[in-house]
Amino acid sequence: MSHPVLEVRDLAISFAHPRPAVRSVSVTVDEGEVVALVGESGSGKSMTARAVIGLLPDGAVATGSVRLRGEEVLGLPEEEILRYRGRRVAMVFQEPQTALNPVRTVGWQLAEALRAHGGARGRAARERAVELLREVEIPDPEERLDFYPHQLSGGQKQRVVLALALANEPELLLADEPTTALDVTVQAEILALLRRIRDRTGTSIVIITHNMGVVAHLADRVVVLRQGEVVEEADTRALFARPRHPYTRQLLAAVPRLPEVDDRVLELLAEPEPEGVAHEMATPALEYDDVHVHFGSRTRGRVLPAVDGVTLRLETGQVLGLVGESGSGKTTLGRLAAGLVPLAGGRVRVAGTDITQARGRRRAALCRRLAFVHQDPEASLDPRFTVGEAIREPLDVHGVGTRRARDQRVVELLDAVRLPASFARRRPRELSGGQRQRVALARALTLEPRLLIADEPTSALDVSVQAEVLELFADLQRRLGFACIVISHDLAVVNAVADRVAVLRAGRVVESGPAARVFGDPAHEYTRRLLDAVPVPDPTVRDATGPALREHIAS
Amino acid sequence: MTRYLLRRLPSALVVLAVASFGIFALVRLVPGDPVSTLAGPDASPEARAAIRADLGLDQPLLGQYLTWLGQLARLDLGTSYRIGGQVKDLVADGAVNTIVLTVTALLLAVVVALVSSVLAVVLDNRWVNAALSFGNTLAIALPTFVTGLVLILLFAVVLPVLPAGGTPPDGFIARPDIAAQYLLLPAVCLALGAGAALTRFLTEALRTELRQPYVTTARALGISRRRIVLTQALRNALPSTVTVLGIQFGTLLGGAVLVEAIFTWPGLGGLIEEAISGRDYPLVQVLLLLSVAVFVAVQLLTDIVHAWLDPRVRIGGAS
Repeated sequence: MSHPVLEVRDLAISFAHPRPAVRSVSVTVDEGEVVALVGESGSGKSMTARAVIGLLPDGAVATGSVRLRGEEVLGLPEEEILRYRGRRVAMVFQEPQTALNPVRTVGWQLAEALRAHGGARGRAARERAVELLREVEIPDPEERLDFYPHQLSGGQKQRVVLALALANEPELLLADEPTTALDVTVQAEILALLRRIRDRTGTSIVIITHNMGVVAHLADRVVVLRQGEVVEEADTRALFARPRHPYTRQLLAAVPRLPEVDDRVLELLAEPEPEGVAHEMATPALEYDDVHVHFGSRTRGRVLPAVDGVTLRLETGQVLGLVGESGSGKTTLGRLAAGLVPLAGGRVRVAGTDITQARGRRRAALCRRLAFVHQDPEASLDPRFTVGEAIREPLDVHGVGTRRARDQRVVELLDAVRLPASFARRRPRELSGGQRQRVALARALTLEPRLLIADEPTSALDVSVQAEVLELFADLQRRLGFACIVISHDLAVVNAVADRVAVLRAGRVVESGPAARVFGDPAHEYTRRLLDAVPVPDPTVRDATGPALREHIAS
Repeated sequence: MTRYLLRRLPSALVVLAVASFGIFALVRLVPGDPVSTLAGPDASPEARAAIRADLGLDQPLLGQYLTWLGQLARLDLGTSYRIGGQVKDLVADGAVNTIVLTVTALLLAVVVALVSSVLAVVLDNRWVNAALSFGNTLAIALPTFVTGLVLILLFAVVLPVLPAGGTPPDGFIARPDIAAQYLLLPAVCLALGAGAALTRFLTEALRTELRQPYVTTARALGISRRRIVLTQALRNALPSTVTVLGIQFGTLLGGAVLVEAIFTWPGLGGLIEEAISGRDYPLVQVLLLLSVAVFVAVQLLTDIVHAWLDPRVRIGGAS
């Protein structure tokens, strides 16, 4: 039995029509080992995992070899795959919100997983299900069995997905971006849990991720994939210390970092905040004055405060970062600036004018000076519009200039976001994610806004693309001087572009100040917890942060 | 749940109120009037006036409407002008036959839809799909009067195994076997369109469900596709299918009028035809209002079932 748990040799996956596929991937996973498959979208990391568990999309043809404990499983007929799938190899997916059946209880789904491999039934299944929920550290497991997925939080859902995967004690767990859709503090908990599961059960784990912090935190070994090929493979520490392949170096360099408490920050701290006289005179670009927003309606029962007494100022030409986890109210604040959310109390002023009081032409004038960039460029661009039409639309709507002048403006804007003029004739689906987000940015800038609201502008992008878009964004902001609100759950992204930061939690501002100060020397305990939870792309700090993390979970 | 029902109830009542007015007005907009049909072409103006006064048709329209509403509130449906007898009794007699026919057709449609769509999705075989799609298109495309006549020709004339029409002589309960023979052809004829539409919808709904991430999770656990369809996808597709079923019920009600005529099935369809051609106001009004009420009730019911089937609505809670 000297066979490794998993041995993938020269795996190649192709489709009838050209699509990102796998060209040649070889990976070996030993017992109890955590191997990270790292790469950007289209690198073939997910496809490799899917080939291992026999869940390739229709029309995919895989060649090469996939061995589990020396046994070839690639190309087995469906009936035989069913026998090892879920029992010897299990898989956890990215999106816990949709990975569970919404109309079945947690207990039912666990029982179904056990039943699939002739495991316990009836009372015994229930007991085993409780045991599994306990294993993934869900509180009150007996009670949770009768819960439907929608009654659980995102992190708890992912724990249930994990419990399902562990139901039949697999030797190998494939985790495809298991924490990407989660908040940082929850991500830290799930990563710690995965490590404990490995330590306790000896299950080998293949983790697929684009997040170098997650890799540093969890993996023993790293395999870097690019366009369906392995470009580098090394021990985690070695890879981070001495990346050999230029692509690996590029990946590592692209990771936005948080400031360390170094001399510069301390110097900055010594200076008094340049608040006061100068700012008092100018009208701020945006002002929240004791703002309250409620969700739900009184007549239907529950009223949930989404924003609870927020007071913030955004000076002209400044960038304010709003950070916080899901449910913190950061997106609601962004939408408030455009008057898209009914206000329950307080005032929102855009360039000194109360946005909720403004009507008709006055309101239109305000809105013209305001633009949005959304998270998902694929969803925010009309697929039937060409890029040129999309960028020109705001000009057409507001009837700005002649046709020629508008077309000229489109070219200028494309140039500003560093896209060639020929892109004007393309349609969104012909572009990559990063290119689409540039187009979205160009469209937002069409009417020369004085205030830009960017809601998770780079969350859907690969790290290297994210770095480019952030750099472009910072450059445009400096040149055009618009005020900006950047909303993100990713502290490093906010740190890269924001002058000032407000940390939100459950609709309240827990801390605000200059970005370097808030991130470098947080005053509030919650900010510190958020910062600690961010997996640092450095394997040497992992052991140092590990115990600290556990403390936070306990608290 | 109760709160949900209470919230829906007012709008249902408003629909009924508006419908009652619409029906009242519509019936009087139809050219011709009950007096001339009742009195005959040679009646003297005095006789006509007497009949008019007798029926209350000399009153102002608004007064007539309010009188009718008052009667409805007291559950007094009035007397038929032409057929004679209480409207209540006429409707009750016909309703039994129509209900038996439409409910049977509905059940047939549901069973056919469940079996064929599950088969199509589980087998996922090109030939099965082609056959089902062919049958489906045929069932939707052929008008009821054609399928009805073809069914009679095949099973009552060429192969005389089933009765060509009429209701079972001993009623539905005394001899269910004979009742079934009488019911089969009209019910199949009525069910075809609804069954095909439902099959088409459910098949597509199941295919959509099979593309959902939770199905991938289940497959990754080693659960077979057939079992996923039966225990998970079907259960998820159910709420929206119930809504479509509610809408199909409306088309069944409409279709019943035709089918009853083809199979000489003495239900409400025949009654309504007779009442309209005779300008029998009380009868027409009640029949039309009844069909609106049934439709509104079915919609309300489907909404409730829909909500009840979805734990996110039934239980509520976080996220």
